[in-house]
Amino acid sequence: MIAEFIDSWGLFGQIYLSGWLIALLLSMIGVLVIAKDQIFLSAAVSQASTLGIALGMWAGVLIGAGTDTWIRSDAFLSVMAVLLAVIAALVTSRERSPYTESPEAVTGWVFLVSASGSILLLAHSPHGLAEIYRLLSSSLIGAAWEDVWLFALLSGVTALMLGLFHRRLLLLAIDPAMARAMGTRIGTWGIVQGIWLGLAAGLAMRVSGLLYTFGCLVLPALVAKSICREIRTMFMVAPLVAVSVGVLGFVLANYYDFPPAQMTVVLLCLALALAWFVRSRRRRTQRPRIVRP
Amino acid sequence: MPARTLLEARELCLGYGSGLILEAVSLTVKEGEFWFLLGQNGTGKSTLVKAILGLLQPQSGVIRLHADLKDRRQVGFVPQQPEINPTLPTTVREFVTLGLVGIHSRPRDTAQRLSGALERVGLLGMERQDYWSLSAGQRQRVLVARALARHPRLLVMDEPTAGLDPTAESTLMGYLDTLNRVEGLTIFCVSHDLATAARRASHIALFDAGRILAGSTKDVLTQDNLQRIYGVVVGPVSQEMDLQHAPTRGHY
Repeated sequence: MIAEFIDSWGLFGQIYLSGWLIALLLSMIGVLVIAKDQIFLSAAVSQASTLGIALGMWAGVLIGAGTDTWIRSDAFLSVMAVLLAVIAALVTSRERSPYTESPEAVTGWVFLVSASGSILLLAHSPHGLAEIYRLLSSSLIGAAWEDVWLFALLSGVTALMLGLFHRRLLLLAIDPAMARAMGTRIGTWGIVQGIWLGLAAGLAMRVSGLLYTFGCLVLPALVAKSICREIRTMFMVAPLVAVSVGVLGFVLANYYDFPPAQMTVVLLCLALALAWFVRSRRRRTQRPRIVRP
Repeated sequence: MPARTLLEARELCLGYGSGLILEAVSLTVKEGEFWFLLGQNGTGKSTLVKAILGLLQPQSGVIRLHADLKDRRQVGFVPQQPEINPTLPTTVREFVTLGLVGIHSRPRDTAQRLSGALERVGLLGMERQDYWSLSAGQRQRVLVARALARHPRLLVMDEPTAGLDPTAESTLMGYLDTLNRVEGLTIFCVSHDLATAARRASHIALFDAGRILAGSTKDVLTQDNLQRIYGVVVGPVSQEMDLQHAPTRGHY
């Protein structure tokens, strides 16, 4: 099994590396998403980047039909994916007063308008619709070596930022009122985090699709949450889970000829179920026993 | 040597949008004082706390902090309840060290601040304890420890004893009393507990209809003021009052 995987490296090396680096990057950011208890936000942001790609393709059909202009380029679609993801992240994670609509309602709205809008925009374009379905079902097959370098860079910067500011980012995520009282500019930090989440999710969506992006954002962090005793260790455990399960998923997918993204997400789901089971067993054994006289 | 002024408000008007909550508030807080902010719900106690923490800009008037407190690194804040998601795993150590945001401290200094803060609230040795396994009273003391880890000169508290049983409340207030009397920590505490305020506070600010009456406990906590603000006749009120007759939370 492993020998066959190594044999396939020459052909699919860039796909494997891109997939693992995406998992590494998103799992680090995912810890903050989970700490904020905003799981659905990451689905909405990922879906919004699908709408960005659909908008880019629609604009290409409308404006650049029959020509080979920049508007029909892959780079333009990536920019649109990131742009819409960033906008969605900023809109959904914006601080609200108790008298305005809840963040969940806004997140739901963003998700639904993005999901239906992307299909509607390309409903009459067979090629466009096929691309949207590919993004929704997830495929890593289009990953190139440029993607490997890009995600390596983003992962490095994210790890550096977390290393430098993990305490502040954590407090912002779990207790924003306290962070503000300690002099943190939560508006500015919220914008920076929104842009970073949108950038990572948008680029990951363009390369890997919705399922893999959403799965890598939330599942490793949820596994880490179930097995860790402190939030700060989640920043180490989540990437470790993401990459190790990613490696296993890709090896199995290669051997049994299954799509690697779906295989990895299924394995992450199994890992989460196992983590939940272990946690419930641990709590049961830790529960104090009542000794009757 | 006269005590230094840590906080001074002059003709302060506070509100949200066009609405005014507090009007022409003036008070002076000196080092080592223990202030209680008393009043009915919605009278602006938490609004004043927000202004002190720099979370709300005055509509008019001024609020001055001592030069050492201007960057708020030496201001500790204890909220009523932490907003933390209860499904997140965290220990006492992690929770308290989160209070060091914005303060550059080396690991050794962090460890010293942690043990020092926990010792001062009677929780030394519980660093590795799961935060969610603690009782409500212990969690509230951890919140105080989180603020103390910053080595504050001013401790601002927003109803720190809300939801605690009388024993936990008394324990927490006992620690605060020690911090104030022994260490000289200046405390600014929002509360509904008139009896505790009468016993512990050196100064009181009574909030009523957008205005406050601020001064020493003896001067402010008079029969007339309490009858006017709370609308009830209460027993003898002074720092040496018989607490059996004093109104407590929810009884006025």
